[in-house]
Amino acid sequence: MTTEPTTTVGIRDGYAEKYGFHDDEQHVFKSKMGLTPEIVAQISDMKGEPKWMRDYRLKALEIFEKKPMPTWGGNVGEIDFKNIYYYVKPTSQETKSWDDVPADMKRTFDKLGIPEAEQKFLSGVGAQYDSEVVYHKIKESLEKQGVIFLSCDHGLKEHEELFKQYFGTVIPSSDNKFAALNSAVWSGGSFIYVPKGVKVDVPLQAYFRINTKDMGQFERTLIIVDEGAYVHYVEGCTAPVYSSDSLHSAVVEIIVKAGGRCRYTTIQNWSNNVYNLVTKRALAYRDATMEWVDGNLGSKLTMKYPSVYMMEPGAHGEILSIAFAGRGQHQDAGGKVVHCAPHTTSKIISKSISKDGGRAGYRGLVKVQKGATDCRSNVNCDALLLDEASRSDTYPYMEIEEDRVSIGHEATVSKIGDEQLFYLMSRGISKDDAAAMIVSGFIEPIVKELPMEYAVEMNRLIQLQMEGSVG
Amino acid sequence: MTTADLQIQERNLFTDWSARATARAADAGEPAWALERRSAAAATAAAMSYPDRGDDLWRRIDFRTAEAGIAGLDPFAPGPRARGVDDLPAPVVARMAGEAGNAGLLVQRDSDVVLEQTHPALEKQGVVLCSMERALRDHGARLADTLGALLHADEDRYAAISETVRSGGAFVWVPDGVEAALPLRLFQWMDGPGRLSAPRSVIVLGRGARATVIEEQLSATAEGLALHLGGTEVFLGDDAKLVYGTLQDWGRNVFHYGNQRARIGRGAELQWIQTLLGGRVVKSHSYFDLAGSGAQAFVHGFMFGDGRQHFHLHTLQRHLADHTTSDLLIKGCLKDHARSVYQGLIQVSEGAQRTDAYQANRNLLLSDTARADSIPGLEILANDVRCTHGATIGNVDEEQMYYLMSRGLQRSEAQRLIVEGFFVPVLDRIPLESVREQLRDAIEHKIG
Repeated sequence: MTTEPTTTVGIRDGYAEKYGFHDDEQHVFKSKMGLTPEIVAQISDMKGEPKWMRDYRLKALEIFEKKPMPTWGGNVGEIDFKNIYYYVKPTSQETKSWDDVPADMKRTFDKLGIPEAEQKFLSGVGAQYDSEVVYHKIKESLEKQGVIFLSCDHGLKEHEELFKQYFGTVIPSSDNKFAALNSAVWSGGSFIYVPKGVKVDVPLQAYFRINTKDMGQFERTLIIVDEGAYVHYVEGCTAPVYSSDSLHSAVVEIIVKAGGRCRYTTIQNWSNNVYNLVTKRALAYRDATMEWVDGNLGSKLTMKYPSVYMMEPGAHGEILSIAFAGRGQHQDAGGKVVHCAPHTTSKIISKSISKDGGRAGYRGLVKVQKGATDCRSNVNCDALLLDEASRSDTYPYMEIEEDRVSIGHEATVSKIGDEQLFYLMSRGISKDDAAAMIVSGFIEPIVKELPMEYAVEMNRLIQLQMEGSVG
Repeated sequence: MTTADLQIQERNLFTDWSARATARAADAGEPAWALERRSAAAATAAAMSYPDRGDDLWRRIDFRTAEAGIAGLDPFAPGPRARGVDDLPAPVVARMAGEAGNAGLLVQRDSDVVLEQTHPALEKQGVVLCSMERALRDHGARLADTLGALLHADEDRYAAISETVRSGGAFVWVPDGVEAALPLRLFQWMDGPGRLSAPRSVIVLGRGARATVIEEQLSATAEGLALHLGGTEVFLGDDAKLVYGTLQDWGRNVFHYGNQRARIGRGAELQWIQTLLGGRVVKSHSYFDLAGSGAQAFVHGFMFGDGRQHFHLHTLQRHLADHTTSDLLIKGCLKDHARSVYQGLIQVSEGAQRTDAYQANRNLLLSDTARADSIPGLEILANDVRCTHGATIGNVDEEQMYYLMSRGLQRSEAQRLIVEGFFVPVLDRIPLESVREQLRDAIEHKIG
C-alpha cells in the first residue's frame, strides 16, 4: 500500500522534512479496518492476555458504543471510526537492544534522535511504533533498586497482581467516550513502578511514533510512585504527514503515594492530520506532588486536560500548559485540579499562542469538594494572538463547595506589543527574530521547567512554528 | 403519563393560553403583528422541550419545579388599577421612600400595569413612559422594529411561553438629544403565589439622549410556586448614555428567569447595575452588544444568597465593533446552603480591533455548606485587543477580621462590616441615594 505525503505551506513547513517522513509500511499483523468485538477479542488473544482483561476490553467497547460524542471542545464529528486500523503490530517482539529493532524503524528513531538521547540524558527509554513498543530498556542500576519500567503489555504479563490492583482505578472505562475506546483497544504505553523512597533522578522517556496511514494509536500508561519516591517521565511523539486523518487516543493513570512526587512532561508534536484526544489523570495522596508539564504544538485537534485529584491533606497539584496553534490547528488544552481533601494546594499556568488562523485555548476546572477546607488554588492563563485571523478561547470552570478556601483565576489575551517589537528592532534584530524572541519570553515560565535538552528542543520547535510568519 | 400524553397536555395548555392572551390583547387594542407573534410563539413553545439539563447554560440550575408546576399557574391574574401611590402595596410604597413625585413612575401588579405616571417635566421633553399595552396601541411603529429585535421567542421554551402570555412591562422612549429631567422608576409586584408574570420592556434612547431607569421587582414570600419570565430590550442610539439598574428582591417562593439584552451604538455608554437578592431559584441572562465603534458598557452586579437560594447569572459582553470597551464586575456572597453560579463570556468578533474588555468575578463564602461556581470565559477572534478576566472565591479574610477585632469589635460585627464593604463597589454605582439605602438595608437584613 502506498501513501502520499502531502505538503502544507507556511507554518510548520519544517515539519514534513524533519518529522513528517514515513517508512514503507511493514508490519507482522494489521487488524481489519473498523472496530468490532471480534477485532477487540483478536487484539487480546494476540497479546495472550488473561481473561479478565479480555472481558474488560469487550465491556469497554460496549460503553464506547453507547456514549455520545462530546458536543463541546473541538470538532470531532469528522472522525470516521469505521475507517481506522485499530491495531498494527510492527514487529514480532519487543527488544532491549537497538540492534534487534528492524532497520527501518531503527533509522526512524535515529532520525528522531532517540538512541542518542538515551545515551546522554535518560534513565530508560521506551519506543513505540504504531501499536506496539519495539524497544524498551532501563538502566541496570535502577532495575536493581526495584524500579519497573516496561511497556504496559509487559507490565500486565510480568506483574499482573500489581497491574490489576491499579489499572482502570484512576480512569474507569466509563469516564468518557475516548477513554472507553482506549480501554477496548489499548496497546503499548508504559508501566512504571517506583518503590518506596527510590528517586529516579534522570528522566525516563517514551517516544510514540505513528507510521501507518489511517491508523489509531491507543497507548496506555500506568505509573505508580510509592511513598517518598520520585520519577520524571517524559513523552514525545511525531507522525508522518498524510492526507487523511489519524487518531491518537491515550489513557494515562498515575498514582502518587504519600510523600511521593511525579512529574510528567509531554511534548506533543503530532503532524497536522492527527486527532489527539487524550485522558490523563493522577491521584496524589498525603503530601504528594503531581506535576504535569504539557506542551502541545502538533495535531489537527487536541482535546486534553491533564488532571490532579488531591486525595489527602498536603497534596499538591501543578499543571503547566503550553499550546501553540497554527494553520488548521485547534488546541483545546488545559487542566483540572480537584481538591478532595483539606490543606491541599494547586497551581495552573497556561500559555497559549494562536497564529495563521489557528485556534488555541484553555479549558480548565478548579473544584473544591465539600470538606476540603483551607485549600488554595491559583490559575493563570495568558494568550498571545499573532494575527487577525487567529482565535483564542479561555473557559475556566470553578466549582467551590467550601468556604475556607482561597481560589484565584486570572487570564489575559493580547498581541505582541508594538513597543516590544520596536525595542528589539531598534537593536538591529529582524522583525521575525524579534517576534520569535518575544514568544520565547512569553513561554519562558514553562520552558524553564523542562530539562535542559527539552527546553532547547521546545524553543527550536517554537522557532520552527514562527518561521517567516510575523506581519 | 407517557411522553406523548404530556406533549398533548402541554400543547393544549399553550393553545389555551394563546387564545386567552390574544383575546385580552385584542380587546386592549394590540396591533395584528403583535397578536400573530403570540400564536406563533405558542406553536414554538409546543414544538420545543424545556431546556435540556445537559445544556451548558442549564446544567448548573434546576428549574424542574417550575416545569412541573407551570400548568397550575395563572398568567392573567388581574391587578387592581391604582389612582395614586396610596393604592399601591405597602412594600412598593416603602421602596419609593417618599420620592414618587420626583420620578416618572410605572407600577405593575401581577399581570397588569396599574399605575403610569409621567411627570410633567418629562412630558414636556417628549419622554415617553408607559405600559407595553399602551405603547403597542399608541407607538406601534416604534415597537415594530425594537420589540423582539434582540430577544427571540425561539431562544428557548420559556422565551416562547413568555411571548405567548406577555403581559405588562414598560416602554421608555427618550428623543434625540434629550436628557431626561428625572429618573424613571419601574416596579413589579406579585400579590401572591400561583402567578406567572411575563412582562416585556423596551427602552430606547435616541442619538445623544440620556436617562436613568431603575427597575425593582418585589413580592412577599408566600407558600406555593410563582414564576417570573421577564424580558427587557435596551437600545442606545449613537452617543446616548443610559444608567440602568435592575434590582430583584422577590419573595422566596419565586422562580425567576429574566432575559436582558442591550445594543449599544456608536460612542454610546451603558451603565448597568444588577442585583439579585430574592427568589428561590433565579436565572438571569444579560447580554451586551457593543455594536458601534467606541461603544462602552460598564456592568456591576451582585448576588447575595441565603437559605437554599440558588442563583445563576450569565453575562455576555459581545464586542462587535472596533474601539469598544466593556468593564464588568460581578460579586457573589453566599451563606447557609445558598449556591451561586456566575457564567460570563467575553466575545470579540473578527475586526473588533482595539477592544478593551475586562471581567471580574469575586465570591465570598460565609458558610461551609454554601457553594459558588465561577465560569468566566473568553473567545477572542481579533488580535489587537486587551482582554482580561479574573475570578476569586474565598472566605472572609482573617487578617481583616483580626484588624477589626483588635479594634474591639465582636466577631459577628466584624464580619458584618466586611460583608457590607464587599458590596460597596456595586452599591456605589446606584444613582439614587434612597434606592442605595434600601438596598443597604436589604443586605444588612440578609446578613442577619
